[in-house]
Amino acid sequence: MAGEMMTGNLAAAWGARLSAVDYIPAFPITPQTEIVEALAKWCESGVMAARFVTMDSEHSMMTAAGAAAATGARVFTATSSQGLLYAMEVLYSISGWRAPLVLVNVSRALASPITLEPDHNDVLAARDSGFLQIHAETCQEVLDSILIAYRIAEDERVMLPVIVNLDGFYLSFTREPVILPAPEQVAQFLPPFRPAHLGFKASAPHALGVAVLGGTPYSYFRHQMHLAAMNALDVHSETAAAFERLFGRRYDVVEGYRLDDAEDVLVMTNAFASRGKVAVDAARAEGRRVGLLRLRMIRPWPADAIRGALRSRRAVAVLDQNLAPGQGGILFQEIAACLYHEALRPRALCSFIGGLGGKNLSEGEFRTIFEQTAEAGVREKGIGPVLLYTEAEHREMTQLQMLAAAPGS
Amino acid sequence: MLAIRFHGRGGQGAKTASRILGTAAFLEGFVAQDSPIYGAERRGAPVAAFTRIAREPIRERGIVAHPNLVVVADASLIGDPAARVLQGVGEKTVVFVNSPLSAEQFRAETSLPGRLTTLDLTEIVVQHFGKRGAISALLGAVAGRLVGLRQGSIHEAIARELAELGLATSDIERNQAVAHQSYETVQPVAIETGVPQPIVPAQLQAPMYEPPTRGTARISAAANSVLRETGGWRTFRPVLVPDKCNGCWLCFVYCPDGVISMTKDDKPVIDYDHCKGCQICVHECPTDALVAEREKGGGVAWRAK
Amino acid sequence: MWQRETFKKIKQIPSEEHVFPGTSLCAGCGGLESLRLAAKVLGDDVLYVNAAGCFTMLAAYPFTPFKGSWLYTTMGSAPAGAQGVRDALDVLIAKGRLPKEEDLKVVVLGGDGSTYDMALSSTSGALYRGLDFYYFCYDNEAYGNTGMQLSSSTPYGARTATSPCSLQHPAGTIQEKKDIFEIWRAHTPPYIATVAPRYPLDLEEKFARAAKFTGPKLFLALSACPTGWLYDPGETPEVARLAVETGLWPLKEAINGQVTHTYIPKLKPVEDYLKLQGRFRHLFEPTRQDEAIRHIQERVDAYWKRVSG
Repeated sequence: MAGEMMTGNLAAAWGARLSAVDYIPAFPITPQTEIVEALAKWCESGVMAARFVTMDSEHSMMTAAGAAAATGARVFTATSSQGLLYAMEVLYSISGWRAPLVLVNVSRALASPITLEPDHNDVLAARDSGFLQIHAETCQEVLDSILIAYRIAEDERVMLPVIVNLDGFYLSFTREPVILPAPEQVAQFLPPFRPAHLGFKASAPHALGVAVLGGTPYSYFRHQMHLAAMNALDVHSETAAAFERLFGRRYDVVEGYRLDDAEDVLVMTNAFASRGKVAVDAARAEGRRVGLLRLRMIRPWPADAIRGALRSRRAVAVLDQNLAPGQGGILFQEIAACLYHEALRPRALCSFIGGLGGKNLSEGEFRTIFEQTAEAGVREKGIGPVLLYTEAEHREMTQLQMLAAAPGS
Repeated sequence: MLAIRFHGRGGQGAKTASRILGTAAFLEGFVAQDSPIYGAERRGAPVAAFTRIAREPIRERGIVAHPNLVVVADASLIGDPAARVLQGVGEKTVVFVNSPLSAEQFRAETSLPGRLTTLDLTEIVVQHFGKRGAISALLGAVAGRLVGLRQGSIHEAIARELAELGLATSDIERNQAVAHQSYETVQPVAIETGVPQPIVPAQLQAPMYEPPTRGTARISAAANSVLRETGGWRTFRPVLVPDKCNGCWLCFVYCPDGVISMTKDDKPVIDYDHCKGCQICVHECPTDALVAEREKGGGVAWRAK
Repeated sequence: MWQRETFKKIKQIPSEEHVFPGTSLCAGCGGLESLRLAAKVLGDDVLYVNAAGCFTMLAAYPFTPFKGSWLYTTMGSAPAGAQGVRDALDVLIAKGRLPKEEDLKVVVLGGDGSTYDMALSSTSGALYRGLDFYYFCYDNEAYGNTGMQLSSSTPYGARTATSPCSLQHPAGTIQEKKDIFEIWRAHTPPYIATVAPRYPLDLEEKFARAAKFTGPKLFLALSACPTGWLYDPGETPEVARLAVETGLWPLKEAINGQVTHTYIPKLKPVEDYLKLQGRFRHLFEPTRQDEAIRHIQERVDAYWKRVSG
């Protein structure tokens, strides 16, 4: 097999290195820390011509990142979970400045209770920030997505920052073969960063991020961000074509797996989609006509591609690795919304919640999903949200509660 | 329903006036609603406030687009496009202006639409308090008189609203006294409620994508704030008495807005388009060469200290 | 004895303006007066990195009062924004993508709410990293842009919207003003100074002196505030003068941690200063709060005894 063995974190660091970034403000947080450790080492040794600065918080880190991008530097940074939320207001500032940078988020479930393992409530909390979002399934895709992200972000039709997401542990600390693109080819793929509206300098002063009063200019600028984000769909397809020409790997905004004749489709994102593909293969081997749709681009929301993949199916199951308390699965809502106007929409939409806090998704759970979804399709009535939580897990939980409780209570 | 719109400059008391009017109407058993609108609070910047008074529950909210009565705390606001004093003012709208001019004189000078009444509230305040200050109680009292509320409820409303702001009892009583005078003196004009305007559907136009040079909240013009004239903020203007000026530069140095420049022979030139009328120059002039004059032909001059 | 070297006479203050009129800041703003004077030394090749506060309204679409540049960041992280800009300028110049003559001075603008409270971590970080920047704090001793609420810069005895006077707390604010000068000084940046708008030569001299240092250069500007402190806007210089002359606002600088008082005040009674302002009126009426006034006086006396002893 070609390539080198590396973790998702190291692949992310390579993405930044190959993109020839100028500036990396950093702050440690598990499970992201390896990325900035690798970059610190490379900047220190001189193999990367970038300035690396350890900041005092993620809030400061994101501010420095955005301000440097607004000054005309190509900027990379990374965080996780609490760090992303601590920096959250700054995300909105940066997208409002239309300062394109790439932020890698290594997904980790949010406190409280505090934990280290992944789910997607962290990155999805940023879904309305104006950052574009690409979610990766493999270590290779992490690296490739960072190169693609810079090219989309820096396009004059877009000029918005991008989050590239990977799952903590399942990708961040997992090694697998990754092909490193040649730096000369990356340079060919990724033109220099020369934004027309950014770059502070004495000869061309300007004021950025200024206050606006009254709703009219605010509405206008916010709407421009929406149009810019929507432009990213076309820019992504051009970029993906250029990427494929140079590197031979193809990425679309969504990825279909064994969809051709699938009656029922499971929708997933990120690293557990690999598991979902295994489950599809196993079900297919037993004659079930099932397939998988992996969402790769979450912002902009690729509604047409999703509709195209899901129309005419009997039933669709959305597996959300997140939970919006009081509502359910976040992506389920968006899938449901974009199918509403589809004349040939699936007869049943099912919502499953699984993998919260990094909880494993077993083959049995996938099988339950396929069975319940098929039944829902026959009944023509969706279900959910259904929490994937087994009897054995519940027994284990009861044991823990007994230990946690004071004697006699 | 009666809809009243107050226009003032930050610090003059338009918001409090709207509350005094709302409370007074409430005390008389009406349904009332009042609300202010402002950006970040700014002394001197245009602000507006609204009071609605009705016998039935009020379902409208927010800005008053078609007022029955407009109360203008500062005549300079009429010429300030940012203040939008004339928005929705028709022939039947009653307009009160705080001005030393009579309604006839004022109309002759400004060709203001609506039915006009004026009173010099600033003069009343300067006479009673010896200096410029907020005129919320006076504005509230005038508005109360014009919409037909009783003096007793205005009196009580002033007590409640100014106590809420933390004013001492003695200050509240003085405000009640000047409010009383304003209530008695203002020339009433009967308010008529007109036929509602027909509603026309809005013509929507979604903007297209533009390059980020235009499509971002970004200003590439340099120092273009001078296009925005703040001279209308003044109620008093600093005026040079050239013979007394010793050319010391202090007025130029201390001006926060940088609207005073010095000629070659060390005489100050004041940019009245932008001078906000803070009177720092008047206070700091060591030779009393700068004096404050009331804007709009008031003729009330004063000197610091 | 501290001597001014560059600015000896009023007429040496440059006539050229760098902060233009037409802004929506309050008439009589003491903060704007200090900034305008500072800008006369800083010039136009400046990027102001602004934190949320009254100065946010300086650049309000579509108008800016500056010939230089401006970046609005957040309330808590303007110094981190300065870090990003400074680093990016350095990198771009080093890589030959930006000519050296395009370089800018990076100046953080923050009110006391940002400076003393929310941005303390990011300021400390910038000082720790030795960032080459200016920090200009316009200190009006409360959250002014939101209508005067308690900040950790509000002095004992002042009334704010969130530290009202009551039977339990007749003095209003019971905390002592945080000593941000000493907090900054503990980081030993090359240059720190306090300034007041009524002392323009002292102010200009300090900006001129600071220009010689690479690294953090911090200014704490007394921003007498007619809107929040409740006095007539024309009295801004007088209020600032009394803050200095009563000893409440010492004019000083610290070079690499070494403190020098640049003006020795006459130490008038603090009452002279307090009485001018509505935010202290409750100390005098309806009944005089002798104990609170004495407390303020004693703290000032103790300060000057300490620094002159």
